[in-house]
Amino acid sequence: MLVLARGLYFAISMLLFGLCAFTWLLRARLPMILPVRDQSLRWALLLLALAAGCAWLGLAAADMADAMDRQAVVSAAKDTRFGQFFLVRMAALAGLGLLLAIRRGRAAIVLLSALALVLPAATSHAAAASPAGFAAVGAITDGVHLLTAGFWIGGLAVLLLLWRRGEPNMPLALSLFSDWAMVAVLLLVMTGLINAASILLGQEGRMSALYLSVLGAKLALVTGMIGLALVNRFRLMPKGGDTLIARNAAIELSLGLAAVLLAGLLGQLQPLS
Amino acid sequence: MKRLALLMLLAATPAFAHAKLTASDPAADAKVKTPKMIRLTFSEELEPAFSGASLIDPVGKTVPLASSVAGSGITLLPLALKPGRYKVAWHSVGQDTHPMKGSFSFEIIP
Repeated sequence: MLVLARGLYFAISMLLFGLCAFTWLLRARLPMILPVRDQSLRWALLLLALAAGCAWLGLAAADMADAMDRQAVVSAAKDTRFGQFFLVRMAALAGLGLLLAIRRGRAAIVLLSALALVLPAATSHAAAASPAGFAAVGAITDGVHLLTAGFWIGGLAVLLLLWRRGEPNMPLALSLFSDWAMVAVLLLVMTGLINAASILLGQEGRMSALYLSVLGAKLALVTGMIGLALVNRFRLMPKGGDTLIARNAAIELSLGLAAVLLAGLLGQLQPLS
Repeated sequence: MKRLALLMLLAATPAFAHAKLTASDPAADAKVKTPKMIRLTFSEELEPAFSGASLIDPVGKTVPLASSVAGSGITLLPLALKPGRYKVAWHSVGQDTHPMKGSFSFEIIP
């Protein structure tokens, strides 16, 4: 359950951030594209993020205290760094809800959704596994890792909404997404590499078979996503094969969400035996 | 193997560094004169609210003691201990919220 709550929080907050960030970018760069009607989707994602975030805290508290009671949850929220960042995340999501309600502050909405996504990086394994005195570096690289994954996944969701309504300027939207997504994927891979290096250096012991299996499955999903993205960008986009691009984007998004859920599992596994 | 692991981790959310016991004084299975304090050192900073340790005497009773959790260490300050084999049972939670627990024993010689 903890694995599920953690994975769901990341998947939902990535979708929320990517949705807010890419629609903001679309408005700024391509004003001829009418805004995506995504208010109900944003509200649904916001409420789900709140629910998954609270479930994550409650289950983590039960795990830490080896008992599920109110005192453990209060102590986890008040006395641990994870809990303190949880409170900031919930405040960011509440602020986002307020801005959605009054329909103001598009840039602030992007910022708050980014905060809600990125703050768990401060208590991530990357931060904890960094060499002494370099926890902030680990947290920053993990934060960039989360944000770039969020932009990729949430941006794909926006593209699918545009296809669904038959957007006439679809090639322009695709081109904009493609340019930014390439940078995002590059950063995603680079930060993944840096995190991996910081984790592997100085660690002793044998990797567990279960951990390697889940990691292998996640890597296969991400490789599939990159493959589909490359096919879309370099084979289908020049030809204008909209239907195939849309189908590939939907598969890419599904693979991405599955990869994030696996990441939720990886985060709970003991990698070294 | 490390290169393979590095490649596999390329796109992964990192997952390492649970708060493991890395050292203790007295060490596990050591034979020592009565120690003034027992120190446990962990691989990462601990969450004091969810970390701690207890000392169990040779007849299986928990020894009353003062303890403190700070940084990546737990310190136990027991009153004078009699000779015999003692067990230290610890539980730790790192800032990544993962719980760990374990125990080790040492012997006090006259």
